Formats: sequence, C-alpha cells, structure tokens
Amino acid sequence: MTLPSDKVDAIVVGSGAAGSAMAAKLAVGGKKVVILEAGPDRGNSDLISSGIWARRLKWNGAPVEETGDNPVGHVFNAGYGVGGSAMHHYAVWPRMHTEDFEMRSLHDRGQDWPISYTDLQPWYDQVQRESGIAGDAEQEIWRPPGEPYPMSPVPLFPQGAIIARGFEKQGMTTAPLPLAITTSKYNGRAVCIWDGWCDAGCPIGALANPLSTDLPIALAHGTVLRADATVSRILTNETGEYASGVEFFDATGAAGLLMADLVVLAAFSVQNPRIMLASATDKHPAGLANSSGTLGQFIMSHPGALIYGLFDEKTDCHMGAFGGQLVNQDGYAKEAHANVGAFGSYQWMIAQAVKPNDLLGIATTRPDLFGKDLQAFMTEAAQRFAGMTAVVEDLPSAENAVTLSDQTDRFGIPLARVSHTTHASSKSLWQAVLAEGQAIFKAAGAREVWTGPQAAMHIMGGTIMGDDPATSVCNDYGQTHDISNLVIAGAGLFPTSAGVNPTFTIHALAARSSAYLLQHWNSMIH
Amino acid sequence: MPQTRRVFLRNTGIGMLGFYVGGCEVQLTPREARQQDIPFRKLQADQVRTLEAFGEVLLPGSSDAGLAHFIDHQLNATAADQLLMIKYLGVNPPFTPFYTLGLAALDDSAKNVHGVQFFELSPDQKTELTRQIAKANPDGWAGPPAPFFYFVLRNDAVDVVYGTKQGVESLGVPYMAHIEPPSRWGE
Repeated sequence: MTLPSDKVDAIVVGSGAAGSAMAAKLAVGGKKVVILEAGPDRGNSDLISSGIWARRLKWNGAPVEETGDNPVGHVFNAGYGVGGSAMHHYAVWPRMHTEDFEMRSLHDRGQDWPISYTDLQPWYDQVQRESGIAGDAEQEIWRPPGEPYPMSPVPLFPQGAIIARGFEKQGMTTAPLPLAITTSKYNGRAVCIWDGWCDAGCPIGALANPLSTDLPIALAHGTVLRADATVSRILTNETGEYASGVEFFDATGAAGLLMADLVVLAAFSVQNPRIMLASATDKHPAGLANSSGTLGQFIMSHPGALIYGLFDEKTDCHMGAFGGQLVNQDGYAKEAHANVGAFGSYQWMIAQAVKPNDLLGIATTRPDLFGKDLQAFMTEAAQRFAGMTAVVEDLPSAENAVTLSDQTDRFGIPLARVSHTTHASSKSLWQAVLAEGQAIFKAAGAREVWTGPQAAMHIMGGTIMGDDPATSVCNDYGQTHDISNLVIAGAGLFPTSAGVNPTFTIHALAARSSAYLLQHWNSMIH
Repeated sequence: MPQTRRVFLRNTGIGMLGFYVGGCEVQLTPREARQQDIPFRKLQADQVRTLEAFGEVLLPGSSDAGLAHFIDHQLNATAADQLLMIKYLGVNPPFTPFYTLGLAALDDSAKNVHGVQFFELSPDQKTELTRQIAKANPDGWAGPPAPFFYFVLRNDAVDVVYGTKQGVESLGVPYMAHIEPPSRWGE
C-alpha cells in the first residue's frame, strides 16, 4: 500500500496484538496512523489448518542469536507478518493478580509495576467487552475483581473431565479456562467449533487475533497498513529530545523515511530494544531512551511445565482449544513452594487440544520412540492422550538481556543477541510444579505419566516500565522516560512476568496508554 | 461446493508444493513427487538414499510419504515459505548444511562400525545405530549433534506421515480443517 508522503500523526511499528490495538485506538481517536509490519501481508484465507503450514506464522525475519542456559525460543514465540505473534497465540487471557504488581514492595524481588491492579482493572474490563472472553468468573475463585465474562465458558471435553478428576482428588479446584474465543456470536464473529487449530491461525474469526478484532477497526478508520516494511532506525530531531520518524526498508531493499508526531514501537520484546539500540546517536550514544542503561535488560520467558499421560478412557484430545479447557491457580501465592527454594506464581492450563505432529504435538512428547514403537504409541495416544501445561513465573534478571551482535542482517542492521538463563528460584518452582502435575495425573488415573523438557513460553521485558527513570525505560503509559513521543507497547513493558499468559495484559496496557496519549496529545507532540 | 484453496489443501494433506520438471513448476504432494520420481534439486542421490533409509527406521512409511522430496523442496524454499520444523529449533537458515552434514555423518558412522553405508546395514544394525545417535554422538561423528539430528529427522518423518489429513485420519481422528467457508474465505 502506498505510504503518505506527508508527516502522519502516528507510526506504529509492528501489527501484532499491541501494535494493532494501539493503531485502532489512535485511529478511532481521529489520528492519521501508519502501521509498518516487517513481515508479509496476510488474510484469513492464508490461515491453513495444518501444523506444518502454520510455521509460516512464526518469525522469519533477521536471525536472532540466542545464548544462555534457557534460550527464549524466539522463532517459536515471535510472529512474522500481519497480526504478528498474536496470529498463533492460544487466546488464554487470564488477568494478572494484585500482588503481581507489587513484587518489590511485598517480596523484595524484581521491581514493582508503576501501576496497581486497581489502575488496570477498568482497562481489563473494557478490553474484555471489546474482544470478548469466554469464562466463568465465579468459578475462578482466584480471579481478582472485575466484570463477569461476556461469554459462557468453553465446553468441557473428555480430556478436561478426566484431568479435573485428578485435581479434585488432590483437593484442588478447576474452573473454565478464560479464553478470548467465541462460545457465541460476538461482534459479528463466528462461533468456535473446538477443532483445535488455534495456533495455525483462526480463519473464522472465533479467536481474538488482530485480523478479527483490532485491524479491521484500524483500517476502517483510515489506518494505512504497510507490510514488508522493516524498520531499521527511529529518527530523532537535532537535539535528540524527541522522535521525528523512522527509517525502513521494503522487500526489495529500498530504504524509505516516514515522519510522524508519535512513534509507537510494538515489534515485540526482542526487536524493540534491537531497533532502539541500533538507533544510537551522538545524543543517545547507548541507544535511544537508554539513559538508565537498562534498555534490553530483564528479558523473561515463562518456563513451561509439561505433563503428559495415557489413560484407559478415550480422551478426545483433538477436541477443544489449543490453550486448554480448564485452569487452576491454587498455587499462585508467590511463596507457596518456598520450602524447596522456589518463588513465584504459576497456573495450570489443563487439557490442551493436541495434534499428532509439530513441536507441541503428540509424537514430540515421546522423542525416545521411533520405528514400530512410535507407530504403536501414536495409534494409542491419538485416542487416550492427555496433557496440561503450567505457566511458571520467570523472575527478572538484568543479565538476561538483548544486546546487539557484530553480525548484521541484509539491510545492515545489527542482529539481536538474546541471553536468557532461568532464575534459580524460578527453576526450583518449575521443578516443584512438575512434581505436582505428575501427582495430579496419577490421581486422575493415568496409567502412564511423563514430563517434557522446560519449555520457553512468551517473551517479556527488555523495555521495562517503572516510576524511576534511573531503573526503567518507560513510564506507566509506555512513553520512554527520555523521549516522550517514543512509546513502547507490548510485553516488553512488563517489569515482572507474573504466572499467567501476557496477551490480555498487553491489550489492557495498550488501551490505557492510547487513551492517555489521545487525551494529552498536544502537550506531548513537538 | 467450489474448490477453494483451503478445501483443496485439506484434501491433499500437506498440500501441493511446487516441484520442477523440465524447467517447469508442477504442483504435487511430496508423496506424488516421489511416486513420479521428480528430480531433486538440493539433495544428491546418495543423500536421498541415506535419508529415505533413515526415515524408514524412524517412522516406517515416511519414504513413501515423500520425506526426501518434502525436505528437498523446503531446502529450496524462501525463508517466508519455510515449513520445516528445524526453523524454530535454534538453527538459523540456510538449513541445507544441517541435513547434508548429518546424513554424511550417519553414513560415516555406519562405515566406521560395519564397513558399509547406512542403507546397506541390516534392519537390526540400522535400529541399533539409530538408538545410539538418539542418545549421543557416536565416535568420530562429524555432523550436527547426533541426538538433535535424530530429533529433527524424526519430526520431519512424523510431519509427512502424521501431519497430513490422511495421516491424522489413519489414527482414527477427524482432521476437521475448518468450518464451512463463509464468503470471506475467497470463494
């Protein structure tokens, strides 16, 4: 699509959950918005129901160098193309808990968020109404205050009912998993048929991804979406006090400039700091908005705890949502497993729909099997397999960081290098959670129980927000402390990771930020 | 019902991939490409032989399902069209060296122990060597880490056998590709 030749109100870098939400809100607020997306254009007809074809939704941009004991799995977790990683996300949308926002004050760990749950609650409620979440707030006994869900919960299939039996026998509670997936027609979106293809992209609009929610709104309000446009640098004025636009490359390698009053970086937790570090100038020699020296730091990735089992009953494990059917947050208290040196929160996502192949498929759960043993396993597991996954909190560490490599991409931009090693307390929690999960499956009657390796789920941090400009990159609205019209959106803002999936909080933060920016536009723009 | 792209792909499993015959691109599934003996573009004949022999040990039926043609096709694909699982296993493209070095190491290991290439081993010898590389690098192994090579090739074999509509349904599971398409699916 042809870009405007004149200065626009706002450039949004990235068309994923955060970028699309920011663009939609700003455009509805009357602003002239351009979204620059590094990857290809994409429509619903491209979302092929296949674990193989779905790999096109994963990161395909410049390579990312990964180091540390527990790499973040950038290609798997990040997305590429219109809709970003939200196109393959599972739409598990729980809220963060009140205590997640006060880690430093309550536990002397990590940093406090610059906002409280009370500040974010109305934005959770607003996003929930707009995007639609299916769930049962009363059954979620752990849920912080908020409006009830606008849609009835996900149906329970045999896999969920079987595993729930184990939780009950262990004296634990389950509730319907809060999913941003339609259980009834919602804002014109079709109803899910629970065919388990969520991570291949949902072509019917049942799952709240940008193609079904925010992008149509943004485009209807005049937003220009330009795919195959890789932003290489944020431009600043002569004094370095404010952002003036961006430099980008198109698919042919031709460079372009686009000027704007506001630049929103929503290119995910690794590419955001990469672009900012690569935008260093004499006024910002350590990278844009890096006076704190924390740009790129505190990268976090939830260590996923994977529990698998075979049951005598048929589980219908191909049915449901990829994120699961039920949730348990009985162990959410930060010090629930302090006796084993663990710290942090976690939740169980129970009874994920599963396909035979791909990284999270049935075959991969038993990598030791091959030949006839693998065939026999697949035949049985397709009917009697069950699984659940715990999202385990990853404590922040300054050593887990995005830096620039000495290698460059085809446009001459230094590659990102990401170092990540799971915090020792988080590792202990992951191990304790694995033991709990196995006990639950045994209580449920599994005749075989096994576990998977530590999974890297989600990527957060790198441009964290905080009250103190000396220890954080952004304020609570995502504005960088150093450059007020350079705004970060997305999970990169998170100072701590909590023990829940991040996308709902990403949306709530974007809604809050965009409302603030629209309200204070004139005082922010230079 | 009109033959939409999605319905078409659903009916063909992995789907049609573009293979070159006489300088022209033809759309075939990997299984069809193998049946028609479509020439390889990246892999050499000896590499194909080793790959198919290894694939049969990892998952019987994978060579007939077009494992070698699937991998060869993907090694020629652009980054945006990459469908191999290795793309999110910490290996940056190009992926050809991973496969060719791994296959060469597999043959070398067979020669070191038994004096013949992998495809020439007896079924028990193939199984035993596969069991070894699943756990650790055999002595003198010069390819990518052997357990990782095993893991990737095994998943490729699973892709072509069980990642298709035919493969899923062979397990007694409905494929359920999609809801009947509304008009916005491009009919």
